[in-house]
Amino acid sequence: MLEVKQVSKVFEGQRGVHQLDFTMERGEIVGFLGPNGAGKTTTMRMITGYLHPTAGSIMVDGVSVHEQGQRVRSKIGYLPETPPLYPDMTVQSYLRFVANLRDVPAREVKLRVSEMVSRLGLQDREKQLVRGLSKGYRQRLGLAGAIIHKPDLLVLDEPTSGLDPNQIIEIRDLIRELGENHTVLLSTHILPEVSTLCNRMLIINQGQLVLDGSPQHFGSAMGDQFKVSIEVKATAEQLHNVLSPWEKVRSEVIQTSVANTAKDTSLTSASTDTVKMLLTGVSAEDFREELFYLLSGAGLPILEMKKENLSLEQIFLKLTTTETTDTAANSADVDKVAGSETDQDVTSDIDSSSISGTSASTSTDSSPHSRKGEDSK
Amino acid sequence: MRRMMAVCNKELQAYFLSPTSYFAFAVYVLMTSLLFYSSFVYYQPSIVDYRLVLGDTLSMLLFVVPLLTMRLIAEEFRQGTDELLLTSPARVSEIIFGKYLASLAILVVLILCSLVYPFIMSFYGTLDMTTVWMSALGLFFLGGSMMAIGLFASTLSQHQMVSAVAGFIILLVLWMLDSFAGNTGSALQQWLDPFALTNRFDSFMKGVLSGPDILYYVTLSGVFLLLSIQIVERKRWR
Repeated sequence: MLEVKQVSKVFEGQRGVHQLDFTMERGEIVGFLGPNGAGKTTTMRMITGYLHPTAGSIMVDGVSVHEQGQRVRSKIGYLPETPPLYPDMTVQSYLRFVANLRDVPAREVKLRVSEMVSRLGLQDREKQLVRGLSKGYRQRLGLAGAIIHKPDLLVLDEPTSGLDPNQIIEIRDLIRELGENHTVLLSTHILPEVSTLCNRMLIINQGQLVLDGSPQHFGSAMGDQFKVSIEVKATAEQLHNVLSPWEKVRSEVIQTSVANTAKDTSLTSASTDTVKMLLTGVSAEDFREELFYLLSGAGLPILEMKKENLSLEQIFLKLTTTETTDTAANSADVDKVAGSETDQDVTSDIDSSSISGTSASTSTDSSPHSRKGEDSK
Repeated sequence: MRRMMAVCNKELQAYFLSPTSYFAFAVYVLMTSLLFYSSFVYYQPSIVDYRLVLGDTLSMLLFVVPLLTMRLIAEEFRQGTDELLLTSPARVSEIIFGKYLASLAILVVLILCSLVYPFIMSFYGTLDMTTVWMSALGLFFLGGSMMAIGLFASTLSQHQMVSAVAGFIILLVLWMLDSFAGNTGSALQQWLDPFALTNRFDSFMKGVLSGPDILYYVTLSGVFLLLSIQIVERKRWR
């Protein structure tokens, strides 16, 4: 349906979008996320043919947008961030104008206009000037204009921004309804919107795609793996001995080997060591029960066990604020299979990145922890 | 074609709804009637010749045309509605021609307004109808190319007033082209003369339909429309 291939856009020396690469299938509702200035609008403008990419190509149904723009543009419905309305026109005349402009067959125009009016709840406002419409009605009218020609691909730039909660729900329902017959790409920075509406999401930051996948999957973690963090009363060594033969949990990450906090925990017990770990399953399978019996069998009490769920916000923050910790975590992922014996540098790195996953404030976390790592050395 | 007519209809609607066009018409009618009064009623009511009146009122177009065209494209940019037009299946040329067509329709109304004066004059003697009709036709060609220039000026900015001023300046330069080099009959002046907007109008006023003059106006409009298309198309390459 839509192929965006290696697309870059440069604005007078400034990079707008860099080497963007994704495809969309027919019938998908794709959420396009990113902080302000990430390049969402630029990308959407390029897809709709309003801007031409500096490099790369965009194909809709195999037809290039900027070489055969006219053919492509008739298949696309586009609602820009501010609906493109003429304040001096009435609702009806605006829709009629858009219908004619967008090649709706002449004898269907009247029908389509009244269809759109009733579908978007504009019934009593047909004769009203656009100037007098409220923000919500303007948004609806803009949307009506974008779908009046029954486009295959619908591109919506922040369709729910600036609406009151009731209107947001209405527009969302409408988009969901549209998603049944159209392919929809919508940008937003409201994250729950993506999880309720979309079956796929793209996160873009500083003009680059940082994530592509379905929002449901991200509920379980960054990948498809099941993750659990535990705190066990044991030494790192004991725990390692118990867990390393177990194949279901591939990577065992020692978060904090709190070997010397006996003084601090004097209140709870006089005992020695506790270990915090992040366990990542090989598959998405839930292994908590097995883990419990395994550790209790070995006589290692679990003090705390928590399923690690990265919420959309956390993923979003993690991906868009500090990419440095992100890459550190990735490299640590590779390392941690080999070096699970407490290599202090690696652990402090992992520590910071995984804590960032749960506490969501990434940038501030990483520095004190790595410092702590060095201190303990 | 349908898309072009859609744009044209929309522009005509906008003309009838916007106060600016009424203001422009009011200015035109007021100024031309004042000039008509001074050149016909006051000084020479015995000479019944429309050309004397028209020659005086012609320069009013210089002020009125930019007022009528300034909105055409600039307003689309300002409102962000260019995003609608440029992402619709319409070609840029269809958009520009649609808008130009609307401005030509307005021009016809303007010419009809100025035909009131020969009508009044016809009560005082016999008019040479050939020159009247030819003058009206000439007015259409002259006004048409001025509208194209105004349209071009409107693509240059998203502020209407800037467009109006730009349009006025371009028109003024073309209008005065023959007098820039002085009236000495120098080589430069002879070279520039045929490009001046008003010189070409003389033959129409004489009742002569001359090919080169029509060609001049049509080409001038064509060039500026083409430039407008290019400038709007260029927005995609920002």
